[in-house]
Amino acid sequence: MTYALVSLSVPLFCALLLTLAGPKLDSRHAGQIAIVCSALSLVAAWFALMQMAELNQTILLELGGWESGLAIRLRLNPLSSLLLLFTAFMHVLIGVYAAFSRQGVSRDFWPLSSFLHGSLAALWLSADLFNLYITLELLGLTAVAMVALAGKKAYKPAANYLILSLVASLFYLLGVALIYGRYGSLDVVLLSLQTQSDLLTRIALLIMTAGLMLKAALWPLHLWLPAAHANAPTAVSALLSGLVVKGPLFILFLLWSEVAPVDLAQQIGPVLAIAGMIALVAGGLSAMRSPYIKTLVAYSTVAQLGYAMMALGLLLTWQLPQMHVALWLFVIAHGLAKATLFLAAGEMQATLGTKRISGLRGATQTVPVAMFAFAVAGGSLIGLPPSGGFLAKWVLLQPLLSEPQNWPWAFGVLLGTLVSAAYIFRVVAISFDRARINPPDIRPDRVGHWLALLPALMVWGMALTGDWLIQLLAGSSV
Amino acid sequence: MTFELMPDIILSTLLLLMAWGALYAPTRHDAMALFVAFGLVVALIWARLGAPDLALAEAAIGAGLTGVLLLQAARLLPAESASTEHRPLWFRSSLLFLLVTTAMFASMILNNNSLQLAGSGISANVTADSASLPEMVAAAMGDSGVGHPVTAVLLNFRAWDTLLELLVLLLALTGVRQLYPGVNRNQQAVANTIEQTWPLLLAWARFLAPLLVLTGGYLLWRGADGAGGAFQAGAMLAAAAVILRLTGLLPGLSWSSLLLRLAVNIGALVFLSVALATLMFGDGWLVYPVQWAGALIVAIEVFATLSIAVTLSLLVVGEPEELSA
Repeated sequence: MTYALVSLSVPLFCALLLTLAGPKLDSRHAGQIAIVCSALSLVAAWFALMQMAELNQTILLELGGWESGLAIRLRLNPLSSLLLLFTAFMHVLIGVYAAFSRQGVSRDFWPLSSFLHGSLAALWLSADLFNLYITLELLGLTAVAMVALAGKKAYKPAANYLILSLVASLFYLLGVALIYGRYGSLDVVLLSLQTQSDLLTRIALLIMTAGLMLKAALWPLHLWLPAAHANAPTAVSALLSGLVVKGPLFILFLLWSEVAPVDLAQQIGPVLAIAGMIALVAGGLSAMRSPYIKTLVAYSTVAQLGYAMMALGLLLTWQLPQMHVALWLFVIAHGLAKATLFLAAGEMQATLGTKRISGLRGATQTVPVAMFAFAVAGGSLIGLPPSGGFLAKWVLLQPLLSEPQNWPWAFGVLLGTLVSAAYIFRVVAISFDRARINPPDIRPDRVGHWLALLPALMVWGMALTGDWLIQLLAGSSV
Repeated sequence: MTFELMPDIILSTLLLLMAWGALYAPTRHDAMALFVAFGLVVALIWARLGAPDLALAEAAIGAGLTGVLLLQAARLLPAESASTEHRPLWFRSSLLFLLVTTAMFASMILNNNSLQLAGSGISANVTADSASLPEMVAAAMGDSGVGHPVTAVLLNFRAWDTLLELLVLLLALTGVRQLYPGVNRNQQAVANTIEQTWPLLLAWARFLAPLLVLTGGYLLWRGADGAGGAFQAGAMLAAAAVILRLTGLLPGLSWSSLLLRLAVNIGALVFLSVALATLMFGDGWLVYPVQWAGALIVAIEVFATLSIAVTLSLLVVGEPEELSA
């Protein structure tokens, strides 16, 4: 647990120090400090994960040494330690990109990204509904501030994001208040033993679900996401799509797999799964029709979250631990792949001087590395073997294919795959149009392009550790 | 109907009226005035419910500072237009959100064959085996280092929440600062000239500010054993700063000054350092040694008050050139 706490407090401390240093520190040094802190946090998270892999059991920590119920409880299990590692890893990757690519970021990016890292770490570790609310608030505010980093054009999406995010938080808080009023407890572990499927619990859970779905941009409450994610600076988009929307998803998972009584979970399961299936198709179609590169990538986040929602829904319906593995593999594979997609999209946009997909003509020749990164990451989104996306999809499909009555769900997954392939290949096909090349405005930034490729290579490397990941996650199923 | 119920009914009705008025007032100024009144009624209700800590915080932050913030914002907005012909995106999204929520409700509630009444059976089978939370708080008060349950919960039992709340406040300021990237330094002199204030207001501000500081200090000190604490005291100090700033008695601050940044950060920094120190040298993350608990809590509260006061006043009356780096 100590390692996890170190992994949590290092970025928070770093964020405070960077805010304190303020304008004294130029962007370059601030970036170096932030990356070193993320790396330290990564090392600590690695030790925590190793400890977990050995012990393979949940560690509960009552903060302040008070008895359970009175204290806030932190929980470290294989899942939360893996998410800690994933968060730190993403921050290192994107931090290195932001520091060394020519596009660069403003100085305030660094304290904010450290805050983001810290609040996500606090979220993964928390097992207390009210504490989760505060981490959710931290996450939302950080994300809004980061969107606003892009300057005037992003103020409107940022303001919309802020208002919706606050509304969603209040919905969640109302649900927490109802739960507390009903059971007199906020602790997830204690609540899981107490909850009954009565009307008040249903209402509370539904209010919280609505708020969390809005925060996580799950279909049909995703309308704010494309504008906010597409208008943010490149590195911020990658963080937002890769990490931030996963936070509320984690709380949703906790809520339904632990806090909610089993019969309620089984009732909501099909609803979530169907919404996930619709998200796959509707988000995919929107991505396919989008004229802009970044909007396409943002809509693909909506679509890909559909897989996660489907896995969650089926997990709840059948109470099948395997789905839990699929859900989190999706989250990790999508995070890495989406980081590359946004970074590559941002690089291509800057080099070719166009936001439009039609401007990518001949990109395989003019910006080969960035286009390659885009295609490779896209391959993982589609689920081509042996990428991380394939791994997740395989785990999801296995129980679906084994029983004939589950084939409609499998059909949904395959349809989603088809649509993903359609929007990725649309970009790739245009980029091969070497007859009418769109010449680059500036010399391509080689370092930036290669750094954008890095997360995509990681997601393809995930397959190498696939067996270990599956076993680790299966060990932490609740 | 008993006589005790009368104030409750009046307050609740007043609350709804104020809320309706604030939403549908014909002009911006009416709406803002009603919003402030709404905040005061909420504060009264908290006091009536026996939560003076919340009442203080709500009156100071919810009604007072937010009211000033609204007035400041209204000053910068263009004159009111008659109607908005174009519904913004968030309106449509929230409408959809409401629809989805209602649909989900309907489906879940209809699903529920045995329509139990929400209120029935509350805490019937819940608190049978374990003590309720207020009892647990009361039992643990002896080791908490302070005499007031709310303070004990905020700074000892659930100190982690409060630490994160301080970060939320800091982040709010960081977020606002993003809206003012690099304001031209030359404009600073122009912006600092303050409009003429009424002499009466000036005299009143000179009289009020020391009183507010005194009240803030009292609330902070009192927080250990009664209603009050860092947030309330911080809000009082912020109110004093806001009054002085609006009347032009306090010079503008600058984000480039280390002292200001230190003042904004120090609360969270001290709190986090205490947490780290307890992790490294003590019994664990945020486990205060019993004999030190009282002193540690007061120390954290003092620094938190400073941070809260400076952050809140910057949020309310911070001019672009104070916030931009």
